[in-house]
Amino acid sequence: MTVPRVQSARQSFAITIASLTLLLIAAMLVSATVGYRLYGLDQLYQAIFAFDGSETATVLVNLRLPRAILAPMVGAGLGVAGVLVQTLSRNRIASPDTLGLNAGASLAVVLASATLGISSLAGLSLVAALGALLTSMLVFAIAAGAGGISPIRIVLIGVTIAGLGQSVVQLILTSNEAQMQNLMFWLAGSFVDRPMALAINGLPFIAAGGAIAFALVRPLDALQADDATAVSLGVPVSLVRVGCFLAISLLSGAAVAMAGPVSFVGLVVPHAARRLAGLRHGPLMLAAALIGAIYTTLADVLARFVIYPVEAPVGAVTAVVGGLVLVVLLRRRAA
Amino acid sequence: MSLLVTPLSASRAPSMLVVMASALVLLALCGVAFGSSWIPIDKVAAVILGVGEKTQSLIVLQLRLPRVVIAILAGGGMAVAGFLLQKITRNSLASPGVLGVIDGGALGVVIFLAALSNESNTLVTSIVFQPLAAMAGATVGIAMVFLLSGRQSVSAIRLLLFGIAVGAVAKALVMVMMLIGPIYRTSQAARWIAGAVNEVNWTEIQITALLLLPLLILALAVARKLPPADLDEVSARSVGLDLPVFRILVFAVAAALTAVSVAFVGAIGFVGLMAPHLARLIVGRSTVAGIIGSFLLGAFMLVGADLVVRVLFSPTEVPAGTVTAIIGAPYFLFLLMSKQRDDG
Repeated sequence: MTVPRVQSARQSFAITIASLTLLLIAAMLVSATVGYRLYGLDQLYQAIFAFDGSETATVLVNLRLPRAILAPMVGAGLGVAGVLVQTLSRNRIASPDTLGLNAGASLAVVLASATLGISSLAGLSLVAALGALLTSMLVFAIAAGAGGISPIRIVLIGVTIAGLGQSVVQLILTSNEAQMQNLMFWLAGSFVDRPMALAINGLPFIAAGGAIAFALVRPLDALQADDATAVSLGVPVSLVRVGCFLAISLLSGAAVAMAGPVSFVGLVVPHAARRLAGLRHGPLMLAAALIGAIYTTLADVLARFVIYPVEAPVGAVTAVVGGLVLVVLLRRRAA
Repeated sequence: MSLLVTPLSASRAPSMLVVMASALVLLALCGVAFGSSWIPIDKVAAVILGVGEKTQSLIVLQLRLPRVVIAILAGGGMAVAGFLLQKITRNSLASPGVLGVIDGGALGVVIFLAALSNESNTLVTSIVFQPLAAMAGATVGIAMVFLLSGRQSVSAIRLLLFGIAVGAVAKALVMVMMLIGPIYRTSQAARWIAGAVNEVNWTEIQITALLLLPLLILALAVARKLPPADLDEVSARSVGLDLPVFRILVFAVAAALTAVSVAFVGAIGFVGLMAPHLARLIVGRSTVAGIIGSFLLGAFMLVGADLVVRVLFSPTEVPAGTVTAIIGAPYFLFLLMSKQRDDG
């Protein structure tokens, strides 16, 4: 009796994943071809496989393609990181922001720009990654020093560090208005003018973070209830938390380096993913990665049009779209 | 969350509250004494008692005291709002910032600045109406949250999520409007969003106090009826506490406290999140002590933050809200680290 039901649940999940994948490919194609100028799929094909140095081909390969590849990477990373944070903290309103990584990255970028005069995108990306990494190490060290990384502790220390980081950022920005104008765009998150090298450099980190996350699928399932259950099932709780923390740092550190602090993806995507894939972490994180990728890619496309001809920061679009999606999910009692 | 807190003996909480109140009074006196010219504490006391010199009276009563008083009111109000929300949602991340109230207020301010500016980007109306716009925005924000949540508003965590959703949309709209707006508007809005306690007068303080006082009394009255410990819904109902109605009431009180607190000073961040946690760590789990403690600590944090920006950045007027996290956060981290207990 139960066997066919499991079978059909699996089948319907496979269909869900397949359709999400198709949707993602479609979103990426839209992202590469639709924008200030509209290109055909044939032109895209030609630009990639028979690059002729024409203006069209150059724009497509140098400006459009990097965005179409970066956006889903960032979205997938933040989606999975969001699931991990919410499980690690057992808090459904936690997100990678909660651990202070974005605030740390922003602080590093603002400091580097104020004191060292760094303004190139590559420089800012590197600084952002370092900032996120240092912050995650700091949060981890304080939590470990405070007697173990329990859910409540990690959240409280994370938001405190995030608050401190934001304080200093605001302090520097309010005392230097010209700089505020320059950095506001970075601080809102964007995929404009990102080189392909950024995607290539970011890939190993996203991949490593994802690999750790998926290696922890079973222990995470046990951990989401409570510690006692997890321990009785033989889960090395502390070790899993360390791994989880590492994966979150890699994923959101890479994401903030590639796009700046993109808000709300890590908060809302897990809610949508739970609706489609349930609570088990294998399917859940797979769905979160795909939904995050689609969501961010489409938000990036939308950002090109909302205040046309100027580009809106993608972080603003993810927040508006995500806010509306969350309202719909909540009203259907799904989140 | 509850496990993080060491239950104190009932006799310690009142004495801790007295210590906190004395510290606040001391800090407030320092806040009045420090500034472009130093006024000795005894002279400050003389002015407040009505027997001071004329110039000193002017400085103290018209310039320094207002910002200290509004900092106490706004910081305390935010902190109590945060305490109520954390208590009712049993979520340690709950704070006035995630209610949709503050971002709604910010949106009100930005729309006010954008809609009432002429072509040369100067305001066609007086800036004194800005708090009104903030209040209106905050009210619309919380109304949206309740309207959208409908019957689900009886569930605390869902109400919180609706607040987050509404807040995110408002915040993003603010961001876009600031990006496309001219620099004057951007910096004026950024000031409100950071939160500053300077430039307030006694009328504004009177309005804030008149609105805040009944809300604080209501908060205390409601809180006394809250389940003493962090009861879940079933056990709360079994001891005769009908939670859903309470939840909505507590949420409404918290929202109103937030709206009143931010109207004149702007979106002071972090106080509403941090002060309640700090209060619980210091005075324990009693609800009434927690509310009083939150108010004192919130007030302390904002008065302290204002003092820090005045001493460190004078003569530039840096908004106090930018450094609220710096006051209290190190102590909070210290408290967290010193309580080495297994609270998994």
